Amino acid sequence: MSAQTVTLSPVAARREHPRATGALSALTTLTRRRLALSARTPRELLVPLLTPVLFALVIAPALASIGPTIPGLDYMSFAAVGTVGLLIPLNCMFSGIGVIIDRETGARRDLLAAPVSRPLIVLANLAVALMITALQVVVLIIAAAGRGADLNTSASAVAWFLGAAVLLGIAMYSVAETLSNRIPTVEEYTGALPAIAIVPFFFAGSLFPITALPSALAGFARMLPLTHALAVMRYGLLDHNASGLHDIWGMSNASLMAGLSLAVVGAYAAVLSTMALRTFRDSVES
Amino acid sequence: MEHNDTQLPAVSVRGLTKTWAGGVEAVKGIDFEVATGEVFGLLGPNGAGKSTTVGMLTTTVRPTSGSARLHGRDVATDAIAARADSAVVFQDPVVDRALTGRRNFEIHARLWGVAPNDVNPRIEQLADSFDLADLLDRPVATYSGGQRRRLEIARALVSEPRLLFLDEPTVGLDPRIRYELIDVIGGLRARFGATVLLTTHYLDEAERLCDRVGIMHAGRIVALDRPANLLAALGDQVLELRVDGDPTAALARLRSCGVAGHDSFAVGATVTIPVRGRTADGVLASVRGTGLATTATSTRPPTLDDVYLRLTGDTLAA
Repeated sequence: MSAQTVTLSPVAARREHPRATGALSALTTLTRRRLALSARTPRELLVPLLTPVLFALVIAPALASIGPTIPGLDYMSFAAVGTVGLLIPLNCMFSGIGVIIDRETGARRDLLAAPVSRPLIVLANLAVALMITALQVVVLIIAAAGRGADLNTSASAVAWFLGAAVLLGIAMYSVAETLSNRIPTVEEYTGALPAIAIVPFFFAGSLFPITALPSALAGFARMLPLTHALAVMRYGLLDHNASGLHDIWGMSNASLMAGLSLAVVGAYAAVLSTMALRTFRDSVES
Repeated sequence: MEHNDTQLPAVSVRGLTKTWAGGVEAVKGIDFEVATGEVFGLLGPNGAGKSTTVGMLTTTVRPTSGSARLHGRDVATDAIAARADSAVVFQDPVVDRALTGRRNFEIHARLWGVAPNDVNPRIEQLADSFDLADLLDRPVATYSGGQRRRLEIARALVSEPRLLFLDEPTVGLDPRIRYELIDVIGGLRARFGATVLLTTHYLDEAERLCDRVGIMHAGRIVALDRPANLLAALGDQVLELRVDGDPTAALARLRSCGVAGHDSFAVGATVTIPVRGRTADGVLASVRGTGLATTATSTRPPTLDDVYLRLTGDTLAA
């Protein structure tokens, strides 16, 4: 470029009062932006999907073939739903990497200077994390069904599953947003990721009922949102006896137990998302 | 709240203070106003408080006390409205590198409420003006540093902001691109009628671009005037002496002999004396009359660097 190439024409009449940007319009723009960035980052789309799909398609059938049994349930189907409990935390936590990249080398500061409510940035990130997670869950479920998992797809079954999955996704993305606003580098964040995304999978009754754990660990498992979310998902898709919910609550009313577990996951989502918004606010308004 | 803001200053700062956690006072009660249509520069070295001030004006840093208003809108209590009519070009690159230049434009335009029908014409016009037309549909990751900088400035203008913040807009660029961008920035007011507040530690930028400058040092504004007025305070010429030994002691000696006034200063091995009201030869003769040993002498017109050094005893481009 040379200085001569900058041709500046007379300015039109200037607006005297700035326009307000509507919240919905801003949220749509921010969501489309985040989606565009994620679509150009195959890591965000594929890496979180890999491990759960392998669990569902390779490990679960292999284990099923050598004999683990869950009373009244097909083990492969049991494990296939359990892998959703790995996929959702993994994907949501991976989304946090994008937040750090956005902060360090992306356009986040320009977004912060925009005349829009700043929490919309977090909500847009959450919306995209949920969208991508939903896509991956669908892929996982279709793959598992193709491999022989027997899943109930009635409206009420899907509603229970979706309710638990969405609330778990909100809770896990809130953890990711909180950590990504507190942890300075991608390297440190990636180091913390397995502890948050994977460790609960081993305690939450993903591959076996929590009653198979020592009582202290079973008590710990009952406090995890993932345990409640998985029990509700299974109640919807394959376990009308609600054995997972019974292991948590010890009641006989399946709907009540499912509602209680959903409330637990919802409470986690509410608390963690509030924390995420506060952490975000503190990180951008020092 | 609706303001009749055409008569209000674009920026009005009163007693603005920022104390970071831990007690570090970054900004210590500064006051200034920027008139609509003015190009105003905040000068100072790194750590002077310029970027913290811009951070408070752009509502990413919470003021500890005092007030700041943009076209009458308080940045603390009416932050979204204050941001609505301004845009920022940051010191570091702030773009979505994975997206195309056009997409970066579009996102900014939509967030700033540009009417959908106006978005594409404005992008095309700005892309032409900033020589970005051929780059618009390439990912920003493929842009050079200068191209990216032009994109950021052009992007900031897509909402036709009445107030534009430029935080160290040319830092880190090679000299050729830097001078090209100075010309671009110089044309912004003519093109957009925008009020511009820029921070810099490059004096030539301030002298070329700014109607007024505020010199910041250690969180305070130590001078605020037109560049020409600040320079006039030092007269037409300054005499520079490179001295053997301690320059501070040399300056004290010259002052005690009445050769140097309180507007003289010493930095490194150099003592600088404003000639004002005398001749350079006359001042040099007086210096020699004190018996002070010098290794070199020269005269030159004063610069804003001299103004800054006189006011702070520190170097501007720290």
